[in-house]
Amino acid sequence: MGRRLPQIFFLLSLLALGLLLAALWQASTPGWKDYQHAFFQLEAQGEPNAVTKAAVLATPPEIHQIMLPGLQRVDRCTTCHLGVDDPTMKNAPEPFRYHQGLGPHVASKFGCTICHGGQGLATTVKDAHGDVQFWETPLLAREYIRASCGRCHKEGDVPGVPELTEGRQLFEANGCHGCHKLNGVGGSIGPDLSEEGASHRSPEWLLHHFLAPSQVSPGSVMPNYHFTPQQARSLTYYMLSLTNQDMGTYYSSLRLIPSAAFGRELFVEKNCIACHSIGGVGAKAGPDLLGVTKRHSLEWLDEQLVNPDQVYPGSSMPQYDLETNQRKALVAFMEAATTLDAQAILEHREHLLTPEDAAIEAGKRDFARFGCAGCHGTELQGGLPNPNAQGGQVPSLLHLADDYTKEEVLAVVRDGRTPPLDNAKGQAPPLYMPAWKQVLSDEDIHQLVEFLWSRQKKAKDSW
Amino acid sequence: MNRRSFIGWGGAGVGALVAGVGVSLAAVVRYLVPDVFYEPPQSFKIGDPADFPFGQPTFLADEKIYVFRDREKGFAAASAVCTHLGCTVKHFDSDNRFHCPCHGSVFAADGSVVHGPAPRPLQWFEVTLTRDGQLRVDKDKAVPSSYRLMV
Amino acid sequence: MKLLNEIWRSIVRRDPLSTDKGKSELVFLNVWLHIHPAKVKKEHMKFRHTYYLGFITFFLFLILVTTGIALMCYYRPYPSQAYQDMKDLQFVVFLGPFLRGMHRWAAHGMVICVFLHMCRVFYTASYKKPRQFNWVVGVVLLLLTLGLSFTGYLLPWDQLAYWAITVGTNIGSYAPMVGGQLRELLLGGHSVGEGALIRFYVLHVAVLPAAMILLTIVHFWRVRKDGGLSRPIWTLKRKPAEQLVTIGAPAAVEPLRTVPASSSKTYGLMEVVTGEPIFETISPEEEDDAVFAYPFAFFREGLALMVTVTTVMAVSLLFRAPLEEMANPARTPNPAKAPWYFLGLQELVSHSALLGGVVAPTVMVLALLAIPYIDRNLSRRPGDRKWAIWLFTGFAIVNLVLIIIGTFFRGPGWAFVPPWVHVVPGAE
Repeated sequence: MGRRLPQIFFLLSLLALGLLLAALWQASTPGWKDYQHAFFQLEAQGEPNAVTKAAVLATPPEIHQIMLPGLQRVDRCTTCHLGVDDPTMKNAPEPFRYHQGLGPHVASKFGCTICHGGQGLATTVKDAHGDVQFWETPLLAREYIRASCGRCHKEGDVPGVPELTEGRQLFEANGCHGCHKLNGVGGSIGPDLSEEGASHRSPEWLLHHFLAPSQVSPGSVMPNYHFTPQQARSLTYYMLSLTNQDMGTYYSSLRLIPSAAFGRELFVEKNCIACHSIGGVGAKAGPDLLGVTKRHSLEWLDEQLVNPDQVYPGSSMPQYDLETNQRKALVAFMEAATTLDAQAILEHREHLLTPEDAAIEAGKRDFARFGCAGCHGTELQGGLPNPNAQGGQVPSLLHLADDYTKEEVLAVVRDGRTPPLDNAKGQAPPLYMPAWKQVLSDEDIHQLVEFLWSRQKKAKDSW
Repeated sequence: MNRRSFIGWGGAGVGALVAGVGVSLAAVVRYLVPDVFYEPPQSFKIGDPADFPFGQPTFLADEKIYVFRDREKGFAAASAVCTHLGCTVKHFDSDNRFHCPCHGSVFAADGSVVHGPAPRPLQWFEVTLTRDGQLRVDKDKAVPSSYRLMV
Repeated sequence: MKLLNEIWRSIVRRDPLSTDKGKSELVFLNVWLHIHPAKVKKEHMKFRHTYYLGFITFFLFLILVTTGIALMCYYRPYPSQAYQDMKDLQFVVFLGPFLRGMHRWAAHGMVICVFLHMCRVFYTASYKKPRQFNWVVGVVLLLLTLGLSFTGYLLPWDQLAYWAITVGTNIGSYAPMVGGQLRELLLGGHSVGEGALIRFYVLHVAVLPAAMILLTIVHFWRVRKDGGLSRPIWTLKRKPAEQLVTIGAPAAVEPLRTVPASSSKTYGLMEVVTGEPIFETISPEEEDDAVFAYPFAFFREGLALMVTVTTVMAVSLLFRAPLEEMANPARTPNPAKAPWYFLGLQELVSHSALLGGVVAPTVMVLALLAIPYIDRNLSRRPGDRKWAIWLFTGFAIVNLVLIIIGTFFRGPGWAFVPPWVHVVPGAE
């Protein structure tokens, strides 16, 4: 062995040199360089003369990076996806194809991963597409891509994505908040959904979950709500949009889409009909707004909303603290508004509620908002299976008055209640009444009880 | 093994090692050269040609450049960074010159030094038109002061 | 020409290496090399005795220092940047993945080799007199190695890092009285956060490496002064000494001793005064078996270096260093495991926090430190120390088994789940 040592030493040195060269070769030939060369070939084909062709082909390959401090990310997708902003690449093969229909969402301001998912920091295909073990947001499949609109546009309708609106409404109406926390509001029986869009659960999983929860989540107590495939799809969209995007001020001021529908919401919310009329319908304190966009420029109207006193000194129109896109939405609404709109708005307002009715309405709102319907049903019918609870199911609320006084019900809502066990030695029932005193004020709880009492069926009806 | 072959193999080994060390040093230097910069990019789009007025130059504060648009000749972009010690120069329409507030350098309309401590003229950058119809300035590509992009 | 010669001669002042004098001077006139003896006996460099594990551990440390310094150019130790920098190293930096891989695999290698080196030193009884203190220094170096690995583990700031250090520091907090405060001192806070990251970074790149280097110097110095690298002394033929010499002072506490004389060795004053030979000597004849350190020892050391470097490079090229999702304090992975070399500890802790987390490791470390002073058997021959060997082997195996259980046999909730049973991850 001693004789062979110099030879072994030589071989090892060669091996070390070889490994070093292999490492250098590996570092010098990343996949993205090949993609860039292919792209330059493509670009060169479109060049008119040999000089410009040569110039394009001689472009040094480099990593392209879009820094988005407002969205807290860095995207390097354009290192390979070089044709994203180049209209001449409309028919190029992927990954060089031009991205159509972006509108204001240009890559230089928004990057790519905010909508598409994936790992912006990566420069290899599998890693960049998030197709790897430890990345929570892989590329969103094409058919679900519009769900990410809801990641920023969380309020109002999103034009072109009715699934988001429907999903949001279904979530509220079915009382999902009752078991699932969302942005701090809701129960703890099911998992927190505030970041469901970044949980690595595939859209297919979510879809199947809505159609048959216990099949997909073994042991889950979530009941089957018998959604239609369309409803399940909408809910899936809504789930995919749930991410906690912390946006810089640039983005958060622009995420409100200035649509006429949003404008109508604001018109109602700010109660403009209290002073203005549209086509004669409404109040007379301020000017009539029918056709106002034809009489004044958009800038004038915008300024009016910012600073009413400046345009009409001495005006009693208050200053509403509206964001840019909220003002744009209002103007958009005023452009399209007709007397019919004014009438509808007025009618909605005309229902002057007695204090008792107001309490019941407030209680009804809270019943939906805090997800009571999730366990007790939208019609207060109860019936959800609750193994080992006495009665075996969540109770109906329609006959409370037979067994309880209002004070007793108030106490249960305030302090919560674990259902009495059917079999004392068995497991605790999975569903229970939470204590709401931390979340609801005494007045809220009082209003809830008024609402419940307004729905009681008389004892003789139950026979 | 006799001494000669020991020196032969050993020497070859040492040679491979020395080569390895040399390559390693070069690799270390290459490693230290950054491949991405966490800074605003040197080459960037500045917008639609129609957005730029004729006559006075447009100052882009973040990118520190002046964009000129000439009716006959087209677009040009000049650095707003004084070549003396790096302050931002200001363009005055009154004399069509760039004045630096720090030490009083004055540059003519074509960037050449009129007077002051500045050693070199202002730099002019390449302006091109991208395929989606936007203007792009590349600060890595210096061009002569006579360069114009006709759009 | 004469000038060039003069310049050369002012730098290289030894005789040419073709001469014996030159070979000696290469060692004792050179600041980097003079820790070596000018001459070694061949059995000091016997591979089957030491397996060169000490050298390999040291070379791994050198690899770690160089790759570590390189990585420092791209890594920023703040929670908002650290993970992104790890991704940058992986995807953007030239040779980034390679250097990061070298660093991680060399780190694992060093923990393993330091343990194997300790086993080897035990099995060859190289901790016995006069080397007892060097063993103690070695145990401290082992603890420093674990500390370096632990502090480095947090730096990628991924889920693995965050929760491993959470578990690890929580184990440490079980130490009585000081545990809680020690934990807060380490973390710079009540939980792992930016305070912990910057403190661990400072420990990892400055404090612990400095301690490691200082103690390594002591460790190497001790090896020299205690008689050189370990050799299988009990297998060497003892030639009868022609001459015996009595050493010792008549009025000394120690009785007079008779040792074989060495013709080329002179006894220093301290040896005459204390009555103890400082160096191990066998016989005068064996002095002549010594060969020059250059090229005999250096060549073999160089080979060990080549093997170490080549292995680390090859592993880095073949296996990508892992990186999980970014650290998320709100989501604990189930199970949350400490770094692999602490998994044995975590297994013990799962049975009893105080016994497993504090008592057992303290007893282990104290026992290790005490070995050279407890072992009264003067012989180094394996046949004469069967008990010691069995005990130590048992200790090593128990540690290994605990780590294996912690790594492969513990699933969600720390339930005992053999690795061949597939566990369906519960809904989060």
